[in-house]
Amino acid sequence: MKLYIKYDGIVACRVILQEQLERLEIKHKLLDLGEIEISDSVSDECFAELQAALNRYSIFIVNNEKSQLIQKIKDTIVEMIYQNDKLPAITISQYLSEKLNFSYGYLTNIFSENTYSSIENFIIIQKIERAKKLIIEDQLTLTEVSYKLNYSSVAYLSSQFKKVTGLTPSAFKRIVDKRRSLSNNNL
Amino acid sequence: MKLAKLYKNSQVFKIALGIAIAVVGYIACVFYTQMRSLDSSVDIITNATETQLELERVLSIISIYETNLRSYIITKDESYLEKRFLRRGEIETNLKRINVLVANNPARVKDVKRLNKLIDYRFKLFRETLLLAKSKMPNSEVLNAKLQESNDFTELMKNYVYKTINAEGDKVKIHNNNHQFELQDSIISAFLLVILSLLILLLSFNKMNVDIYELKRANDELKFLNHSFNNAEKIAGFGHWKINLETNTYSFSDNFFRLLGLEPQSFVPSLENISKYVHPDDIEYVTQMHLDSLVSYNPTSLMYRFVLPNGDLKYVMSVGSFTRNGKGQMVKTGVNYDMTEQYKRTIELEENNKELISINEELESFNNIVSHDLQEPLRKIQMFISRIESTEVDSISEKGKGYFYKIRTSANKMQTLLIDLVNYSRTIKGDKVFENTDLKELVYHVIDDLSSDIEEKKAKIDLGDLPTVKVISFQMEQLFINLISNSLKYSQEDVAPEISIFSEKIDKNEVFDNEIITDQDYYKIVVKDNGIGFKQEYAEKVFILFQRLETGSKYSGTGLGLAICKRIVDNHNGFIKVISEPNVGSTFSIFLPKKA
Amino acid sequence: MISHKDSMRILIADDDEDDRAFFSDAMMELKMNNELTLFNDGKELMDYLANPDIILPHLLFLDLNMPRKSGFECLKEIRSDLRFKEVSIAIYSTSSSEKDIEETFVEGANIYINKPNDFSKLKKVVKEVLNINWQFHSSGLNRETFFFSI
Repeated sequence: MKLYIKYDGIVACRVILQEQLERLEIKHKLLDLGEIEISDSVSDECFAELQAALNRYSIFIVNNEKSQLIQKIKDTIVEMIYQNDKLPAITISQYLSEKLNFSYGYLTNIFSENTYSSIENFIIIQKIERAKKLIIEDQLTLTEVSYKLNYSSVAYLSSQFKKVTGLTPSAFKRIVDKRRSLSNNNL
Repeated sequence: MKLAKLYKNSQVFKIALGIAIAVVGYIACVFYTQMRSLDSSVDIITNATETQLELERVLSIISIYETNLRSYIITKDESYLEKRFLRRGEIETNLKRINVLVANNPARVKDVKRLNKLIDYRFKLFRETLLLAKSKMPNSEVLNAKLQESNDFTELMKNYVYKTINAEGDKVKIHNNNHQFELQDSIISAFLLVILSLLILLLSFNKMNVDIYELKRANDELKFLNHSFNNAEKIAGFGHWKINLETNTYSFSDNFFRLLGLEPQSFVPSLENISKYVHPDDIEYVTQMHLDSLVSYNPTSLMYRFVLPNGDLKYVMSVGSFTRNGKGQMVKTGVNYDMTEQYKRTIELEENNKELISINEELESFNNIVSHDLQEPLRKIQMFISRIESTEVDSISEKGKGYFYKIRTSANKMQTLLIDLVNYSRTIKGDKVFENTDLKELVYHVIDDLSSDIEEKKAKIDLGDLPTVKVISFQMEQLFINLISNSLKYSQEDVAPEISIFSEKIDKNEVFDNEIITDQDYYKIVVKDNGIGFKQEYAEKVFILFQRLETGSKYSGTGLGLAICKRIVDNHNGFIKVISEPNVGSTFSIFLPKKA
Repeated sequence: MISHKDSMRILIADDDEDDRAFFSDAMMELKMNNELTLFNDGKELMDYLANPDIILPHLLFLDLNMPRKSGFECLKEIRSDLRFKEVSIAIYSTSSSEKDIEETFVEGANIYINKPNDFSKLKKVVKEVLNINWQFHSSGLNRETFFFSI
């Protein structure tokens, strides 16, 4: 038997963090967007243990401020794309600078300097990732997906989809379906 | 109708005939008894009449005696008395006869006995009267008294006899009446008998006639059928056979023998005799299968070979099955079908097929060579050129640069040709998976893919609404890539290309290949440009493989693009046509069936 | 998280010497901080991967048409081993047929590269592939639906 699961990475991550922090009896407060406020000082050993525990889940404690900011940008974008049922109509640049209290120019610079990509590119990748999820897991039609993700047209969505994946959405769906039936047959 | 049906049913007819015969028999019996009773009535009447006659004769004799006696008394002439005894004898015979006549009637016998006594007494009176008359001294008084007495007695006797005669007469009357009735009944019976007999005769005759006619017709039909069956066997090259399992007798049709190259019925049909003609390699299998089937009653279907007397081989398909004949006996019947020609043709076809497959394989490997092995070194040439152009550019002379430019153009041209060849072969072979595809989305991708060319040419592309159609999407993509790149390629100098792609309602009078194309059955998709166009007379030619209209170096082409388009549209059971005018532009119309 | 300072471990199996050279040149010219290991064919690659002590690569380039062991066979073998489930596989082939692309994706490839005929194009392609793969590694995208065809 093969099960297909649908999960919310953000929620899963929060639960893991909560569990691990509680296990090590660290007083904390989970803030939004991958930030944790720790009330007491934590011993080095305890911190190392937390770091090791979290690494197992591919959760890394980021201490570098720039890295933190980049992570915050990413988290904000992901949250924005995933949390609302429908994408807000305001531009992402506006949203980001409002949320993070930095000028958009500063954010793009810092992002591009430290990653191989631009904020715009990252947004597109994330939106297409969400589109994949909606196509595969929710079995939405392209029209529904383009509405949810605020694309002006289906054609625009599928051309962006093709830019990111090199595939048309229908070819993409076909491949995933085939792959699943193949692995089901092997079981 | 119903009656006619009943008439034709011989079972019903048999029953009717039986009933009719019973009725005739019954009426005949009735007639016989009537005749018998008629006969006896006639006897009775005759008897009565004779009795009457005899009685009257007796009376008359008595009267004669009396008259004679009186005459003697008066005349004393002895001659009157001469025949007296004779007369008495006559009466005796008469009485005897009466006795015979009335022997069957006890009452009458009694009457006759009494009459006898009366006669005896009367004769006694005669004698006494005669004695008195003959005496010498006749006492006339006594004589008169005696005569008187005689007279009275005669009267009495007469009365008695008449009474008897009357009784007989009544009897005759009654019998006579009965006789009349019986006679009438008999006539009716006889008439009925005759009519009925006649009717039955007629019906039987008619029925017989009809039956004979039917039989004859059936027979004719059977003959004809047999004849045509024999002919059919001859023409179609099959023979039939029959095996009665109960009697173990085999029978083969004429053509069965002909199939073996023999004269019809040239040997006694039997398993043993036919086995001689079966190919030695097949005999064991065929016999086994046949004998097995005789046990299991399973139908057989065997293919085997006969070796003809002239040594030829005959491939035969023998199909047999079991059934019961009219007598309820199990019978295996079957047909031998001459498969020799078919077999040979199949072999030939198989060989051709093998050849085709190998040709196809060759083509495929050729295709592989084209798509991979040829492209591989070409790609390397291109790579090295690009390496040289980017890194060694400073150390090459202008002339060298020019050569490299030409190498690159040639290599690129070759690559285009190889890609087109691969694409063309892919439209012939390959997976043809039809899926519902939004053509607008598909064309959008095509435009996207061609965006660098489009930008380079500063082309304006107008994409209208297109339907969703069941198509082989990669082929459709190829179709639009080819059409749009064609439009871009063959654009007019100094005029920005304008290409519009849209769907259109089909005009009523659209005809292609003698077929009327209606909006009901087809989608029409138009790709229209303002390019250099061509003369309308080439409209058919452009779709032919390796036919190029523009040979100038200005326009590079492989002559495959539109041929590929045509193949793709063909693969979709659609049509493609073009209307073009030099220096105005071309309009390609694609017709795709709505029902794939 | 792989920061851009971390190097990406990349393997490539291609029987064509020139192609291997083009590829490593392109990598070098991109000046990205990557560790590239070259294999002459699929068999050599699989022998290397069979060693359980190796540090797993992030990205694997497979030529489809190779003697001894084809890229397709390697793909199947690698995908049937859960040890490599985090490894991205890029097919690097001359074939641009839809069929090859779909089949390799279905069998578990993530990236399909049609070998370019121009060196600058190759550089561009490699850059894009590394980029997108990095995105997948760093941004927690779903590997099951990670496809990139170029």
